[in-house]
Amino acid sequence: MTEQLFILSIILYLVGALFALCFFRWQMAGNYISFICATIASCFGIATAVTMLSNGSSIRFNFLIYHAIIKYDFLIDHLSSYFILAISVIGFIATIYSLGYTKLYVNKRDTRFLGFTYNLFLLSMLLVVTANNALVFMIVWELMTVVSFFLVIFEHENPACIKAGIVYIVMAHIGAALLAVAFFILTTYTGSFSFDDIRFVGANVPTIYKNIVFFLIIIGFGIKAGIFPLHLWLPMAHPAAPSNVSMVMSGVMIKTAIYGFIRFYFEFLPPCPPWWGFTVLVIGSISTLLGVMYALMEHDLKRLLAYHSVENIGIILIGIGLSMAFKSYNLITLSSFAMIAGLYHLINHAVFKCLLFGCAGNIYYATHIKNIEELGGLIKRLYITAPLFLVGALSISTIPPLNGFISEWLLFQSLLNGFNIPSVIIKVTTVICGAVVALSGALAATCFIKAFGISFLALPRSEHAQKAKEVPLTMLISTGVLAVMCIFMGLFPVKIMMTINHVNTHLLGTDIMGAITSYDWLQTRSIHTNFTELSPKSATVFGLILFGITFGVLTMIRPGFTKKIYETWTCGISPESRLEYTATAFTKPFRIIFSNLYRPRREINTIYSVPKYFVKSITYIGEITPIFENYFYTPISRYVLNISNRVRWVHTGSIHIYLAYIFVTLLISILVVIILD
Amino acid sequence: MVSNIVLPILQIVVIIGLSPLVKGFINKIEARLQCRRGASLFQPYYNLIKLLRKDAVVSETASWIFTATPYVTFVSALIIALLVPVLSSQVPLNFTGDVILIIYSFALGRFFLALSSLDTGSAFGGMGGSREMTVSSMAEPAMMLSILTISLTAGSTNLSDITNTLLNNSILLMNPSLSLAFAALAIVIIAEAGRIPVDNPFTHLELTMIHEGMILEFSGRYLALIEWASSMKLLLLLTILVNTSLPWGIARGLTFSGLVISFGLYLAKIGFFAFLIAILESSFAKLRLFRVPNLLGTSFILAILAIISFYVVS
Repeated sequence: MTEQLFILSIILYLVGALFALCFFRWQMAGNYISFICATIASCFGIATAVTMLSNGSSIRFNFLIYHAIIKYDFLIDHLSSYFILAISVIGFIATIYSLGYTKLYVNKRDTRFLGFTYNLFLLSMLLVVTANNALVFMIVWELMTVVSFFLVIFEHENPACIKAGIVYIVMAHIGAALLAVAFFILTTYTGSFSFDDIRFVGANVPTIYKNIVFFLIIIGFGIKAGIFPLHLWLPMAHPAAPSNVSMVMSGVMIKTAIYGFIRFYFEFLPPCPPWWGFTVLVIGSISTLLGVMYALMEHDLKRLLAYHSVENIGIILIGIGLSMAFKSYNLITLSSFAMIAGLYHLINHAVFKCLLFGCAGNIYYATHIKNIEELGGLIKRLYITAPLFLVGALSISTIPPLNGFISEWLLFQSLLNGFNIPSVIIKVTTVICGAVVALSGALAATCFIKAFGISFLALPRSEHAQKAKEVPLTMLISTGVLAVMCIFMGLFPVKIMMTINHVNTHLLGTDIMGAITSYDWLQTRSIHTNFTELSPKSATVFGLILFGITFGVLTMIRPGFTKKIYETWTCGISPESRLEYTATAFTKPFRIIFSNLYRPRREINTIYSVPKYFVKSITYIGEITPIFENYFYTPISRYVLNISNRVRWVHTGSIHIYLAYIFVTLLISILVVIILD
Repeated sequence: MVSNIVLPILQIVVIIGLSPLVKGFINKIEARLQCRRGASLFQPYYNLIKLLRKDAVVSETASWIFTATPYVTFVSALIIALLVPVLSSQVPLNFTGDVILIIYSFALGRFFLALSSLDTGSAFGGMGGSREMTVSSMAEPAMMLSILTISLTAGSTNLSDITNTLLNNSILLMNPSLSLAFAALAIVIIAEAGRIPVDNPFTHLELTMIHEGMILEFSGRYLALIEWASSMKLLLLLTILVNTSLPWGIARGLTFSGLVISFGLYLAKIGFFAFLIAILESSFAKLRLFRVPNLLGTSFILAILAIISFYVVS
């Protein structure tokens, strides 16, 4: 049953992809059909995951292809189902969003390819999380990379998009190469590429190779996940890609890397030494902090959101790393709890980041502006998008009672439990990680006050913002659904925790639901840990009651309360958008405080008119130094280019010479084989 | 059952009722230290009553965020008032949340305040909002670290449990890690509550104000709610500090005599800390904005030392 659902979903994605290509004349119709196919396909995906997570046991199936060298076998287990659920839910909503968003491209460019690649993209992610064979995994992983590359360069006449695409695909391939090496190392000890054999091979692999695999995986998947400092492609690719694609890429694609981490560190490689978990924990913290700090300085809305993906991936990794560390010390219950925190944050991030990218898309659709310094006053123009964006902003800033707070709270609880670990270094680190997470939460709040405040509030700063109109209904509905999900996942966290716990019972072999929930005064489940308990819905209910009382009392005190509307006092001149605070100014204190990291540079040119007392114009250039680009990536790329320049003479362009190379290589290989034998 | 109804009402009444008094008290002491007679102890109440009876002027640029902010700030402070042990170590909303929820509920109020500072399009507001977020972000890690240290020592993040544990094992309070954590927390509280040397609550000069800058555009009922919420914030932060660092005398159950004694002691303890704040404010000048991170850095270092000494001692 579940298997059929999943296969139906695959077929529908393929059909959708083909339909998009078929319609040359009526591209809009073709797009609609392909997106509707994708919607139905993701419904089947959701159905698959839900049936699996509610009762099912793992399902395996393979596609029989005659004379195939590779066995195309797939396995849907509980971990896969959790990711299928995330991919399908986000896919479903992003596809509905796409119905409206693609109107932006009608009659401007060929949208057939968008529908085609979009469907394949969703499909490839589903296949990545179900592949049960190293070769199949690498193939679908590549498919995902290539397809998303084409989506990134969709607006290919823009040189920035091409550059972003190139950086993305080069980095993704470096990652893929490292993954391939990791798989090859493991398969030398199994003799087969099937995950069934690789699973639990960890005990047979010598420590040194295991450590090598550990680092290969961190870098290989880390590039896709966008952990610091391997995040370079993320803030480039997201603004380049269409918003509906950004929603999927940031919402779920980077999470497939987390899936990879979990598969490797919890299934393929254990037993893991404690310092692995510790390393992941530290990498996660660095990613969290630096991600949000660079986000703070960013004024391109989509780049800003991309940097926040770096931050949130870091938070997820803190959960995973902690879970690994606990597991190494055989504290399985705590390991499971940390995993719940990590995976809860994973789905939360998928939802609120998708929401935020959707809202950024709404803004772009309405104004064609990505730079928040040119926006403003949108709350009165995009009056539905504004509260939706606010929900997303509150969520990502970990403000209760929204979902971001819940996962962060769970994370704090598991970080506190770090005192159970015997190693003092890890103990102290866990608490400092808590401080890092708290700091990044506060910085994220600052960043989103900036993003929301500058783009939605006060007076519009440009004509485009002035003339903005609310976007099509499909876009509003899909972002609205996401906002409602943010609220519900914040108020009723236990259901999702139970789902993750179900995944954990299979992954870690322990069921901790009884230990982490308790029945509260309403006889509903609330979260319970060895430190305390949390019932967000009761807190919200009390908040609403208190609000009612406050409002009632105030009305009683002065029933005829009125608001006089008057212009803002701006020292005697009429209010203008030029007088408003800007995003650059809002983050200035941080630029000064963290000037060691940002290394800000500013240049002010004043041009005077003929009498030197009157200023004619002032130009201001302010930027921060991208340290990692300048001191890490640029030297590497320069080095690589140098080397390729040196070996250039080998490439003469003559086919005879190349044939000679092949011949010589063949000879040498044969010789080597003979000698080795 | 009675306790379920009496205690929340009692706590809300105490916090709402006393918070302007704390401000008035600090002002009075400061006036005395400056050899002035000073305004009445109850001046903050008169101000609030006056403001509540007035209409409000709202900027035409402002949106619903501006109108919602006073309520959000006030209600979030009220929720916190139900999560903190005040007179009894029992907490009304024990089951809904813990100290982490408290920290983030403060963040909720602050988020809206900073947003509304940008809402009217005045540059002063943005300046205040930006500075407020800077100071609070810098304070956050030290706050969290010290809270986590206290939680680890007491084995709970629930303030009620923390108070109970520290009350029953007073020897824990001798722990160097706790003293360090409380010292760190005290610095953070001064920053969070916007007192000298971090922020001057009396200034209305655009170059120096932080919190006052944010709320410059509010008037009437809205201003009253925000002012009240900010004085409640000060009292709540002091209550957290007082009832964890000096838990003695707090009522354990809900007996009348216990509550009366507890109330008396609570007044004395809060009064003592308020007096300290007044002394501090009279003897220091406000720090330059970019010196504030150094102060908060000190607090962070103290908190780190606290956590390290916690693990070394145990």
